[in-house]
Amino acid sequence: MSEPALVLDDVTYRYEEAESDALAGVRLSVAAGEWVGVVGPTNAGKSTLCLAAMGLAPHFFGGRLRGAVRVFGSDSLTVPVPERSADVGLLFQNPFTQLSGARERVDEEIGFGPECHGVAPAEVDERVADAMRLVGLEDLAGRHPLDLSGGQLQRLALAGLLAMRPRLLLLDEPTSQLDPAGTEAIFDVLTALHERGTTIVLVEHRLELLCEVCPRVIAMAGGRVLADGAPERVFNDEAVLAEAGAPAYCRLARAAGLPPPWPVRLDDAVAAFGGRRA
Amino acid sequence: MARGLSLYVEGESPLHRAHPLTSGVLTLAAIALAFTLPSIGWVAGLLAVLLALAAIAGVLRRLVAVAVVVLLPITVLLLVVQGLVNPANATVAIAIGPVALYREGLAIAALSALRIACLVVATFLLSFTTRPADLAEALQQRGLSPRIGYVLQSALQIIPQTLETAGRIQDAQRARGLETEGWLPRRARAYLPLLLPLVLSSLVATQERAMALEVRGFGRRVRRISRHVFHDSRTQRVVRWALALSVPAAVGLRLAGWR
Amino acid sequence: MPEVRLDGVRFSYPGGADVYPEPGLSLSLDGGAVALVGENGAGKTTLTKLLNGLLRPRAGSVRVAGVDVTGRSAAAMAPVVGYAFQNPDDQLFERTVRAEVSFGPRALGRPPAEVGPAVERALQRCGLGGREDVHPHDLGLSERKWVAIASALAADPPVVVLDEPTLGQDHRSRQRLAALVATLAGEERLVLVVTHDMDFVAEACPTAVVLTRGTVRFTGPTADAFADEALVAEAGLRTPHVTRLARALGLGPCVTEADLLEGWTVA
Repeated sequence: MSEPALVLDDVTYRYEEAESDALAGVRLSVAAGEWVGVVGPTNAGKSTLCLAAMGLAPHFFGGRLRGAVRVFGSDSLTVPVPERSADVGLLFQNPFTQLSGARERVDEEIGFGPECHGVAPAEVDERVADAMRLVGLEDLAGRHPLDLSGGQLQRLALAGLLAMRPRLLLLDEPTSQLDPAGTEAIFDVLTALHERGTTIVLVEHRLELLCEVCPRVIAMAGGRVLADGAPERVFNDEAVLAEAGAPAYCRLARAAGLPPPWPVRLDDAVAAFGGRRA
Repeated sequence: MARGLSLYVEGESPLHRAHPLTSGVLTLAAIALAFTLPSIGWVAGLLAVLLALAAIAGVLRRLVAVAVVVLLPITVLLLVVQGLVNPANATVAIAIGPVALYREGLAIAALSALRIACLVVATFLLSFTTRPADLAEALQQRGLSPRIGYVLQSALQIIPQTLETAGRIQDAQRARGLETEGWLPRRARAYLPLLLPLVLSSLVATQERAMALEVRGFGRRVRRISRHVFHDSRTQRVVRWALALSVPAAVGLRLAGWR
Repeated sequence: MPEVRLDGVRFSYPGGADVYPEPGLSLSLDGGAVALVGENGAGKTTLTKLLNGLLRPRAGSVRVAGVDVTGRSAAAMAPVVGYAFQNPDDQLFERTVRAEVSFGPRALGRPPAEVGPAVERALQRCGLGGREDVHPHDLGLSERKWVAIASALAADPPVVVLDEPTLGQDHRSRQRLAALVATLAGEERLVLVVTHDMDFVAEACPTAVVLTRGTVRFTGPTADAFADEALVAEAGLRTPHVTRLARALGLGPCVTEADLLEGWTVA
């Protein structure tokens, strides 16, 4: 049996000088190779979950962490973030601030991470080529990073993480500043990574897209886990609907007075509405 | 998006191909000598050498254009101030009505201006012929902390980005009714409300950048294996030592009475 | 009347190509909630900045609510066009939410007796009641975006521009946003929403303007825009989920929940 990729064991975390807990008694376990979506309203603790899994909470932010966060078996309190980054990647929302700012070519930018890890130049080149292929940036290898669009920059940031060959990838609303084409490009990469066995934890507001790709969804609110399971089950939970909303199809089915369980994907919605395809 | 601030000009001259440290040492030695050499003759000679190097590197015209812009106001100011009021003034050189510029002051001003000119020319020469990233990398190969190396490399991108942010902030404030066009005092006052959002957004961006760097392993205590091979040679090492030693030699000679 | 009239507008950024090719951009909008959509680079944000004078056209004319924009500075356009920027941190510089939101009316010289109530109203509409004395940077991103919107509304402008208002907003905020857009449109204002969020467009904006590479490809009812699959593909848009379901069920073009439910119960 392999170690679970991520375990939060009754984790409570409060930022310094905060008046309430950002995470309150969170218990969850993500197996290696799973693709899990995380949803919830603002301040639900979704970002904090990612930061805790990475170790930035508490190593970077200070604050108080109770309970245990284990990544592939090792406790995050004992592993500094730069070391953890050999195994775990975290992609943030803002494509611009993830640039190192110290490299003038896309391929050198991607190689920044492995260089920091002391990887030999020949292997760095190999990893960079792999990563560029995965995200589809090979044609832009020699360009200056600041010439890229927002969507391309986000793919660049993702490539920068993939060059370290992480086993667990955390993404905190990675598409929120991207246009539809940029969003789809990121989801395509994630699908490919999932097929290769990377464990993915994805915080997203685009619930319809999420339900198409994630076999499991964790809904959070107020620092706690509200529901954890298949999207159909989670989005049929009243509490989740009130806090996090639901995919459009689910809301429409409810409003139409259809009986539960309400559908979360288009095909299921068509069936539920008893309709025929035009 | 604004690119990095880089004055680097592509080229294949000896200066371009030299090891970055050689260029760096050359610049520092030139600047030190500019302020140590005793008289106008020597300093002008140094300036001529620097300009000759610029010609060899193929950047002479560009360098002169940029340097003139920077040096002209300073030079004029020096000549006027020293020419008018230097205490050693005795001999009149130029008289315009009641105002007189004296030869002694002008000579002193000319020397100062030439020293500053050497500094400016040497600095631009370095910027035109050496990539800042290469210089930082070469220093790291010799033991400079990667954190400092990173600061050097990223400063050039950060500055234009900050200017761009400032522009966006000013746009947002104008759209709320903050008048920025018009006469000078009003324009000057408009810079105050710019400061807080600029500083705050820089702080927020800095925090995000710092997290993103850690997440890529920055700061990990491992031996970085350098990928850049900079061409070095015995000649260059000798040149570097010679340049480095020329500075204390000049200082020593000055102390011993060289004028 | 909040009319917007652009006529033969030409513009290019320094060192850049023409944003609006020959014969220039012409557009007429009268009021209500209008979505401005299109790919990045199509000229959406440029258009909104031409409306409030942040950018000046090289040729052509821009008139907003009867005012010729080329004759006025951007700050002088503030009483006419309220602009909420995509990144609220570019705007916020006061120490309390109330000070921030009052900045606009005060800068425009509104009498103090008017400023108070106007600010209160803007705060209430944006769900910021009770947060008046908080420092804006102590608020989360979502609430800061609301402060930016409230600041744009406080001077009571006939035209309101919201640049990507749904980014970073959760479910409840989006509902409040849709309600706000409807309220403002109902007050005979023009609310121009620049966004990539097609579901929000479908839900909250009955009119849509579609830009492709600097040309107005479509102006009219949102339902008609999304019914045209070729247009959607060409302009780099995506079909709203309501519309996808309606299409799959064989119903006519639907963009709102109400449309779909009506169409379905009838069928």
